[in-house]
Amino acid sequence: MLISEVMKKNPVTVNFDIKLNEAYKLMQDKKIRHLPVLKEEKLIGVVTDRDLRLATSKLSEHPFDPETEVEKVMSHPVSTTSPNDPVERATQVMRELKIGCLPVVEEMKLVGIVTNTDLLDALLMLTGVHQPSGRLDVRLPNKTGELARLTGLLSEQKVNIHSILTYPDKDGKVRLVLRLGSIEMKMLAELICNAGFEVIWPVHIACVK
Amino acid sequence: MCKIIYHPKYNLYDLGESHPFNPVRVEMVLDLLHELNYAVEPETPDPVTPEMLYKIHDKNYVDIIEALSRGENKTESEQLGLGTIDNPITKGMAEGARYQAGGTLLGAKLLLENKTKKVLQLGGGFHHAHSNLASGFCIYNDLALAIKEMTDKGLHVVYLDIDVHHSDGVQKIFYNDDKVMTISLHESGEFLFPGTGWIHELGQGMGRSLKLNVPLDPFTEGESYLEVMDGIIEPALKWFKPDAMIVMAGADAHFSDPLADLLLTTMDYEKIFKKILKYADDYSNGKIIFTLGGGYSITATPRIWTILYLLIMNLEIPYKLPPKWIKKWSKKIGKEILGFLHDQLPAYEPIPRKSEIEKHNRDLIRRISDSVVQYWI
Repeated sequence: MLISEVMKKNPVTVNFDIKLNEAYKLMQDKKIRHLPVLKEEKLIGVVTDRDLRLATSKLSEHPFDPETEVEKVMSHPVSTTSPNDPVERATQVMRELKIGCLPVVEEMKLVGIVTNTDLLDALLMLTGVHQPSGRLDVRLPNKTGELARLTGLLSEQKVNIHSILTYPDKDGKVRLVLRLGSIEMKMLAELICNAGFEVIWPVHIACVK
Repeated sequence: MCKIIYHPKYNLYDLGESHPFNPVRVEMVLDLLHELNYAVEPETPDPVTPEMLYKIHDKNYVDIIEALSRGENKTESEQLGLGTIDNPITKGMAEGARYQAGGTLLGAKLLLENKTKKVLQLGGGFHHAHSNLASGFCIYNDLALAIKEMTDKGLHVVYLDIDVHHSDGVQKIFYNDDKVMTISLHESGEFLFPGTGWIHELGQGMGRSLKLNVPLDPFTEGESYLEVMDGIIEPALKWFKPDAMIVMAGADAHFSDPLADLLLTTMDYEKIFKKILKYADDYSNGKIIFTLGGGYSITATPRIWTILYLLIMNLEIPYKLPPKWIKKWSKKIGKEILGFLHDQLPAYEPIPRKSEIEKHNRDLIRRISDSVVQYWI
């Protein structure tokens, strides 16, 4: 699953010199929390609803004037992701940096935005990467015993399965995301293919029927 | 001035006949050098003791491995990654791994005592071993042990890993360490074990910006690989100014490797090794240790490591392989060996996505540079 599948395309952006009160109104109108900030078409930061609230709060020692330009309060330097990145990678970045969104950049151009809400939507269909492992995506017939047959094959090879996530695929089949505790993924992919399953990822060792 | 390190007991680390991590690879190197009339006179290391490994590994982990290696049964083995397809339990494996760790450690000591500037350890390179987890053919992390030996004496060390898999074990052990920079060039974890080594893994705390990862696209070729080296490794060395380098020279980025998908040729490896030796001369006062590592193409790996030996010893690289060696080993391994030390071109079919791959890798240079620039001041 890639960022391009979960991101919001053509995000609402603001110019660096827009005023805080204007940015606030824009967020209210569009019901969004994050605004990528551009300067001469180039992404230079992100301003969030939290940035605005903190900057202008009366509780703050030196509150910013609502007429201040967003450039003064935006978060920067900005971390980005690209449309071809898998969602789990973007999640790790956001987690590590404790941020709520990543602008999506392709060939230096802003093409989308992904927020933690988008990633929560994706969560059900994703797998973690916490243990050293190789990942295989496998397609199974949605039939009793097929998953057992697959895991039986792996067990015979003494392969520990670190995680399996499944989601429904087309034509009444089931898609599995397997994380296996082995470096010998090509060999295992071949084995699984030979047993009649479809290996979909990694693409260059796939066998799709 | 270069020292070679080797011990015949390295072979005790034998994970079984059909296991890819095969001691025969080093035997082929030694025999080839012999047939080329180069006398290899290695320093022989003592094995490290189990206690010495407590510096890197949990005591419990080491003790269980030692027991398993003696043939005892331990129920915890699978929790520790042992008894699996990658890390089967074999008799003597712990002793073999301790000899190999002793070799890498000896390399570090030789550098520290100024007995040599360059070391080639004909073994070791167990970069997937974690403090309490065996993984990816590795149990004891010899690299971490040698690095620790040097940093304990106050040295700043750059660990460079050109094995095709991410060096997750070494990275994790030094993730917060400000004396150790780790640089790993590998096939992207999207496609390859261990699934880590992303560009945003930059280290934590004092170690921030000192852990660099270059997840290359599958089918990356030599030219692009060398471009990435110049774009990332050289600026890193220039900035960090290490006192010594340790290089894990896995040979599994070769195009014929059965486990991975990069497309380096032996000619590329020659360029890569020369480049690394030049980096050592320019940025670490010439001090460098090479270890072996992955490399599962049994016909290519010995040739690549022989080239490494010849370069580091400043010896001539022959064009042809000795017929006697070819005859002997093609029979033993049951595979055809061509008559030349280097690969013959064209080595593989042209890659249709070549320019896209190059673009992706070039993008990595930019993104990595962007993310460290705020720290490297």
